[in-house]
Amino acid sequence: MDFNLSFTANANPEELYDLIIIGGGPAGLTAGLYAARYKLKTLMIEKMAISGGQLTSTEWVENYPGFPEPVLGQKLAKDMETQAKMFGLEVINEEVTKVELTGNIKQVHTPYAVWKAKTILISTGSSPRKLNVPGEDNYKGNGVSYCATCDGPFYPDKTIAVIGGGNTAFEESVFLAKYAAKVTIIHRSDSYKADQILQERVKANPKIELLPFYQVTHIDFDNPEGRQIILKNTQDDTEKIMKVDGIFVFIGNDPNTKLFEGQLELEGGYLVTDRSHKTSVDGVWAAGDVQAKALRQVATAVGDGACAAHWINKYVEEWSE
Amino acid sequence: MLDDKIKQEVSKILANMVKPVTLKLFTQGNECGYCKETHELLNELAAINDKLKLEAFDFETHEAEAKKYGVEELPTIVVMDEKDHGIRFTGIPAGYEFSSLLSAFLMVSTGVAKLTNDTKAFLDNLQKPVHLKVFVTPTCPYCPPAVMLAHAMAFHSDKVTAEMIELSEFPHLAVKYGVQGVPRTVINEKWFQEGAAPEDILVAKIKEAL
Ligand SMILES: Cc1cc2nc3c(=O)[nH]c(=O)nc-3n(C[C@H](O)[C@H](O)[C@H](O)COP(=O)(O)OP(=O)(O)OC[C@H]3O[C@@H](n4cnc5c(N)ncnc54)[C@H](O)[C@@H]3O)c2cc1C
Repeated sequence: MDFNLSFTANANPEELYDLIIIGGGPAGLTAGLYAARYKLKTLMIEKMAISGGQLTSTEWVENYPGFPEPVLGQKLAKDMETQAKMFGLEVINEEVTKVELTGNIKQVHTPYAVWKAKTILISTGSSPRKLNVPGEDNYKGNGVSYCATCDGPFYPDKTIAVIGGGNTAFEESVFLAKYAAKVTIIHRSDSYKADQILQERVKANPKIELLPFYQVTHIDFDNPEGRQIILKNTQDDTEKIMKVDGIFVFIGNDPNTKLFEGQLELEGGYLVTDRSHKTSVDGVWAAGDVQAKALRQVATAVGDGACAAHWINKYVEEWSE
Repeated sequence: MLDDKIKQEVSKILANMVKPVTLKLFTQGNECGYCKETHELLNELAAINDKLKLEAFDFETHEAEAKKYGVEELPTIVVMDEKDHGIRFTGIPAGYEFSSLLSAFLMVSTGVAKLTNDTKAFLDNLQKPVHLKVFVTPTCPYCPPAVMLAHAMAFHSDKVTAEMIELSEFPHLAVKYGVQGVPRTVINEKWFQEGAAPEDILVAKIKEAL
């Protein structure tokens, strides 16, 4: 049996921090580790009770180097946090609700305090995208899910539809097939973005079936004859009804950048940065999934975080009020 | 139950305790999934810091006590001081819920509940009782904030009681309350809030329920 502890620092709102990191996923944790080793007075603000971001919602991570045996996402997250804290990173669990980024001293608001810093690193990552079809909101948490490790165990011997065609959809389907009797991966075309190795694993799993060229138009779980979803063929528009007990949605992510709209330059919702990971405002950096970039993975997030911390350290050295 | 590394961490965290905290644990011989483990866990915790006082009750032989604390499922832990604040853990607080358990200890011991002034004002004006059931699983990283918020409300207000329920031990409750995703906070048996909602959203839901 596992006991996972994560505890808040006794941070002081009177303090002027060298760096405040918003968001404690792999990018923020790595930046925190580097910054703490540079001896920057650093505070990380993470809204969940646990650090690790999206890492905590997946089971195995197989493509993060250094782990020939796959590592549990939740373990990797915990270890990253422990390592950063060991060097003095302070972590508090509050949600950032407002930021004031212009000027030499930046302000970060949470429901409990206003925090001040010379520099800000934004690593708020991204959140699962919704399908935006009727029925989705009503059944969120009761048949519609975005997190397999959270909700997979509720579907023993049940029938599940997984929506999506990328790495996450394929990987999580394999996880769900451990519980469910049958998993159908529904995708709007027959070209899948998932890594070849995952595609092979899915094809080899007798419980998983691929259903290409369909998209979900309605989650009809109110139906007296049992739960069903309505699908539309993307080629000839014909309809198809599928009986399922639950549906898991993995159709990509949206960046968590609402807080920064109007203050920082965005591109398709993502934060635009230069080569040093600086945003459009001096003293403000971004790292990880939240950045406009090509590949959103743990390995790239930690690289971004390390690199941003390097430039932040240089900036703080020269900072003056 | 706990390895040495975790025990050290726990000991550091519990060093912040101020007043003693009483843990009333209700278990029953053989018919209960995690009674033994929960008992062992609390024993180990009580051995780490003597401000934690464990009182264990067998459900069958202590019917009156169980009734007094409204215990229906086993194991149940009541976290209290000289007063019962309505804070309950039903099922073992393992996995990520271990953080929820320790934060309940600290909250009761230090007397500080982390709530905004708006929430406190709302709770201070409550006319009717509010009962919160927060359904969780131990592997759910989004669950502890929902549990901690509910417990903080219970601690602050005499009108509020709040219970963490570890669902995988009580599948019949998943069926009864239609839960297929966690966390889910059920308000007064009828209304519910999905996910780890921020304070203001839960407060709005409670207003709706009243
Ligand atoms: C199911 C799943 C499986 C995956 N599998 C893999 C894999 O096998 N290999 C791989 O390399 N990658 C995988 N990924 C992708 C990988 O997890 C992400 O690329 C990585 O976590 C990005 O890190 P990040 O730090 O940029 O952001 P995130 O991990 O998104 O972390 C952002 C953090 O910021 C916090 N936050 C957001 N807004 C606020 C706010 N206002 N205030 C305070 N805190 C805030 C969030 O709570 C979160 O903790 C997977 C993702 C998912 C969802």
